[in-house]
Amino acid sequence: MAKPKELLEDKPGKEILLLANEAIARGVLEAGVRLVALYPGTPSSEIGNNLTFMAPHIPNFYFEFSTNEKVALEVAGAAAVAGVRSMMVCKGPGLNVAADPFFSLAYVGVRGGMVIVVADDPSMWSSQNENDSRYYALMGNMPMIEPADPIEAKSMLLEAYKFSEKLELPVLFRTTTRVNHTRAPVKFGKISSRPDKVEFEKEPFRFVPIPSVARKRHPWLLGQIQKARELSEKSPMNFVEGKGDLGIITSGVSYNYVVEALSIMEIKAEVLKLGITHPVPEKMITDFLRRHKQVLIVEELEPFLETHARRLAQLNNITVDILGKEQNIFSRTYEYSPRIVMDALKKVTTRNTPINWDEIDKKTQELPELPPRPPLLCAGCPHRATYFAIRTATRGKAIYPSDIGCYTLSIAPPLETADILFDMGSSITTACGLAEVTDQDIVATIGDSTFFASGLPGIANAVYNQHRICVVVLDNRTTAMTGHQPHPGTGVTGMQKEVPPLDIAEACKGLGVKYVKTVEPFESIAGLVAEVREMVKWAKENHSPAVLVSIEPCALLTAAERRRTGEFPPKYYVDLEICNACKRCLNRLSCPAMYMDPETEQAVIDETLCNLCGTCVSVCPQGAIKQEDA
Amino acid sequence: MSSNNSNTINIAITGVGGQGVLTLAEILAKAALHCSLNVRVGEIHGMAQRGGHVVCTVRIGENAKGPIVDPGSAHLLVGFEPIETLREIQLIRQGGCVLMSSHVQYPVAVSMGQADYLDHDEIIKSMNKYTDKIIEFDALELAAKAGSTRALNMVMLGAIIGTGLTPITEKVAIDVVREAFPKKFEKINTTATKLGLEQAKSCS
Repeated sequence: MAKPKELLEDKPGKEILLLANEAIARGVLEAGVRLVALYPGTPSSEIGNNLTFMAPHIPNFYFEFSTNEKVALEVAGAAAVAGVRSMMVCKGPGLNVAADPFFSLAYVGVRGGMVIVVADDPSMWSSQNENDSRYYALMGNMPMIEPADPIEAKSMLLEAYKFSEKLELPVLFRTTTRVNHTRAPVKFGKISSRPDKVEFEKEPFRFVPIPSVARKRHPWLLGQIQKARELSEKSPMNFVEGKGDLGIITSGVSYNYVVEALSIMEIKAEVLKLGITHPVPEKMITDFLRRHKQVLIVEELEPFLETHARRLAQLNNITVDILGKEQNIFSRTYEYSPRIVMDALKKVTTRNTPINWDEIDKKTQELPELPPRPPLLCAGCPHRATYFAIRTATRGKAIYPSDIGCYTLSIAPPLETADILFDMGSSITTACGLAEVTDQDIVATIGDSTFFASGLPGIANAVYNQHRICVVVLDNRTTAMTGHQPHPGTGVTGMQKEVPPLDIAEACKGLGVKYVKTVEPFESIAGLVAEVREMVKWAKENHSPAVLVSIEPCALLTAAERRRTGEFPPKYYVDLEICNACKRCLNRLSCPAMYMDPETEQAVIDETLCNLCGTCVSVCPQGAIKQEDA
Repeated sequence: MSSNNSNTINIAITGVGGQGVLTLAEILAKAALHCSLNVRVGEIHGMAQRGGHVVCTVRIGENAKGPIVDPGSAHLLVGFEPIETLREIQLIRQGGCVLMSSHVQYPVAVSMGQADYLDHDEIIKSMNKYTDKIIEFDALELAAKAGSTRALNMVMLGAIIGTGLTPITEKVAIDVVREAFPKKFEKINTTATKLGLEQAKSCS
């Protein structure tokens, strides 16, 4: 997969196949960025995954996995205020976490160039919403640049830093999943050097936005946005191509679909492609609207550019059909495709689409129903054992507030231990709220990385306000879902330096939790069930929060380690003499490495998939699942 | 008619998270780049990977701009597992080719008795409504023969090259595979690629 070593190569002109995320990591090197801080979030994860391994090899460069996005933006913001180039990276919901410093940063501005990369997720491939982050640029008055592919992801990043420095403002660099996770040939440029240390020059009446300062900074900010608009009018990042009666305004990944659709349907159109989407080049758009009777606006999610176009048409008394989401030509949900653009072009021109999609759709609806295959906890995942124990101990009757991570997959049968989820850290705090208005037992689950990111204030709240909640920390020693990044509990930093890890149990004790225990889920399932029961009883009797930390490394890390060392524990198998085909193992664990032999109806362990956790052994009432002799 | 211009070859690769779909897509695209061809890969990461259904795209040719392969426009649909292949069959274009490993990996819903796995005949019959060109073989068996079931994706890579539908030569494919993995897995992966190649050649 990723190739941090290749990304470090000082070979300008070399062409290499990169994800946009890898191209951005390379861009950091070429732009001479001094500091990058981020909390991992898909679809932006590979930026940090590469930078952390590149960092120790780049002179005068600092990279950190911050505890959360708010922290990351403050760390990176301060570096840019001090005068060096910096970057913060997050996924869409991560920018919500960082919203507070985001708005202040625009007011105070920066001295060194600063870029905030935000990766939105239309279609919600790995997010809890498909919020359109472009409104942050509008609301916070921060310039915004949107690349359409991996090639632009790097070239426009370099431009974003120049833009930022000209304006003394951070730039929001907005991508979407289909940009982040598209691979394309990208050409390397020259690597820039970075300054070592700079002197922080004090300027409190700029950088401390007390009301009297903030009142001066707001008009300054509006003035800078006006300057940015003038730059936007002249920037090659906003350009017009093609000729035709039909006009199309587009940006980001949709631009690719427009180009493909026009070429396939052989339609002539003039396309205005916007790379700078805040502030938009108003004069350029106004002139474009004047040149056409019909203008189609192609953008995923909200009618952001469309609203701008309507506003400009009204302000300038232009009679033009602006066609987009307001007429339901395009949807406000999910990502687009060339097909979606072609279907829209069919509506606004007389051309037909090249493929009869209605026919294909009809045929597809007539296919036999397929068994679903949603994502699920991996074979050997320690969370499966912990959730099995939680569910058994509480007989499925407690409320199970969940959190953001792999473990949210416990929503699926048969574990069904996810009942409420808002955002990072909400397991603990929703438990607090529920504890006050119900009599039901409450067992919240939160991962180790999420615990440090947003769980700590919830614990403080539960202790101080005496909420009778149970919190199980699912500590798998990594940030698993986003690709195994370290966090403060792991003992490795973003610079790949070994440091003393923070201890979750000790942190809870320090915050005043009176009941804190640590377990290893694969040790004994029966013991784990007993622990959960005891915790639930204690929280109820003492009307205080109780914490159980369940520690076992992620199955994928364990599997990789075994492959590396070549040392595997003995295999597990079902003794077909003893198995009475009761299917309890299949029905209670839903382990992807187990299936039913259609002939005998007995359970089988697929040894190519089994990760050797042994949880199934204790679930079998017959003792039919055994481990081979060592 | 194709949804994409004639100089672009659209390949969709589908399977179960963990089977190596993403790695195959990347290596195939690297091989295309080695042949000085324009290429785009579309991937989905994160939540989508955890043992669930995965689909990835590789588009080779001048006009490939974005990563998406629309329904009715894949020249080649590569499936690591029968029902996961059928799940994406609408992507195949008229006259397109399906390349499928016949080895079944039961979804948990089937193991739990909540859903039925389709009969093999029904799977093929359903696919035939879209195309008659189906190349099917047990790729897991060939991977095991090469030395590891984890080399399943390289068997499929070899098979893709073996269909002759891509402009990538055997030599380039083997060279790229050799470079892509640590030395100690080189033999397994190149052997797997060659086995897949011969298999597809003998079928097509």
